[in-house]
Amino acid sequence: MTQALHLSGYWLLLLLFLPLAVYSGFRMLLGVMLKGEGGKERDWAVPQLEFEGGAFSTIHRWDVRFKLASFLILAFLVVSLKHPQTALAALLLAFVGYRAACIPWRRGFKRLLGMSGFLSMFLLMLPLTAVHQSGDLLLVFGQLDWLSFNMRGLDLAVLIILRATTVALLMEPLLATAPLPVTLAGLSRMGVPQRITELLLITHRYLYVFVHEARRMQIGMEVRGFLKATNFATLRTVGNFVGMLFVRSFERTERVHSAMLARGYQGHLPQPVDFQANKSDYFKSALCLGIGLLLLGCDYLLLAGV
Amino acid sequence: MHISDGVLPTAVALGCYAASAVICTWSVKRTRSEDLPKVAVLTAAFFIASLVHLPFGPTSVHLLIPGLVGALLGPSAFLAIALGLVLQCLLFQFGGLTALGANLLMMGLPALLAGLVFYYFKGQTRTRRIWVGALCGGGATIFSATLLALLLATGGEDFYGVAKLALVAHIPVVLIESGISAMVVSFLLKVKPEILDIPFVLKEK
Repeated sequence: MTQALHLSGYWLLLLLFLPLAVYSGFRMLLGVMLKGEGGKERDWAVPQLEFEGGAFSTIHRWDVRFKLASFLILAFLVVSLKHPQTALAALLLAFVGYRAACIPWRRGFKRLLGMSGFLSMFLLMLPLTAVHQSGDLLLVFGQLDWLSFNMRGLDLAVLIILRATTVALLMEPLLATAPLPVTLAGLSRMGVPQRITELLLITHRYLYVFVHEARRMQIGMEVRGFLKATNFATLRTVGNFVGMLFVRSFERTERVHSAMLARGYQGHLPQPVDFQANKSDYFKSALCLGIGLLLLGCDYLLLAGV
Repeated sequence: MHISDGVLPTAVALGCYAASAVICTWSVKRTRSEDLPKVAVLTAAFFIASLVHLPFGPTSVHLLIPGLVGALLGPSAFLAIALGLVLQCLLFQFGGLTALGANLLMMGLPALLAGLVFYYFKGQTRTRRIWVGALCGGGATIFSATLLALLLATGGEDFYGVAKLALVAHIPVVLIESGISAMVVSFLLKVKPEILDIPFVLKEK
């Protein structure tokens, strides 16, 4: 049997305002944090992955292979949590981990912003469309019988957001605490084909080249008076812009390939890193996985109703 | 739209990882090894193109271009999209770490299909190629939106509403995507038509 709680229509407006408020709150927060950085964020800036803040924390000293394995497993454990309580605990622990890595909060918040649009959709839709099950608390608004706000749906949305935020916060300590080539070398030691990690490295390097190129083209278009609008001319101009980007990149691939061959490329890049694990690496990984398993255990206990 | 962490059931997320790993291996095998660095460089260009936003009424839509990637790269498209999505996840958190496999299936399968359609139906005339390009761009987006809705629906009946919303939200994207694909194909036919002739067959070992 579902319980229905009748409220006036104003409550509906308030509850629908919630996702919007969360979303714009994030935007504003980011704006405030970027102000300290000096100026507005550029439209499509590609962020730097590693953070060279001079700090050398415990997480920086962690062997990359162990760090990758532990964080990957931990991420899967976290998304398996089924209760907001345990997910909240995981989130708090993720904050602690983030703090331990000595990385500015701004970077983490940028990651949260990357998912905020997608997650707002859940916050908006799940309470309104979740199936009515027995024991659900429904909020019904005035005369609008067809619309009800399901509290279980809200719980579900909050759970999803907690899980997503936790994993997003884990990403910074995982990626920013070692240079990308080292992280990728660690990944290939763990069984990911070396070819794939090398390609990732090349792609990452050329991202910055093409961002530069695209921005130059964009400035050229703006100088000639191009303004984006919803019309055919914009479609054609942007189509030509994208086409030009492809043509230039196709031509560049030949030159890049020749340059690589000239420097002795024989199908694989040299692996500069030698990994050596010591006791503390094992300890950190064990701690990390222990926390994950503990959370999952608590989650099962909650499920069993203890 | 990229699926973020914590949305999909863990079993689905792991299954998608396995499936996309298999297809990715196939895609690498179908790419000649000396072409691999070229695919990487092209992926960077596709990545940048996908950051372009186009206004659509009051909102704006960013390009997805799975159809174009498929048409230009054939079987290597899946690999290219894998590289692009991993980097989007690492750099921007567009698409979660645990949902990477699902996102890859969602974008990669439509790209492969679009590549196949473009290869077999592009014909000889200019008009026909432009129309097939538009069809690939729009069709790939519809396919990818459908996969997204299906993946969301694996979460249970509660997620059906979100899945429907995700489908509806893709309508403007489909329109923009078909238009842009047609324009890009038309531009490439004028400027460097040989790009569009990279066939499936040539990529075989």
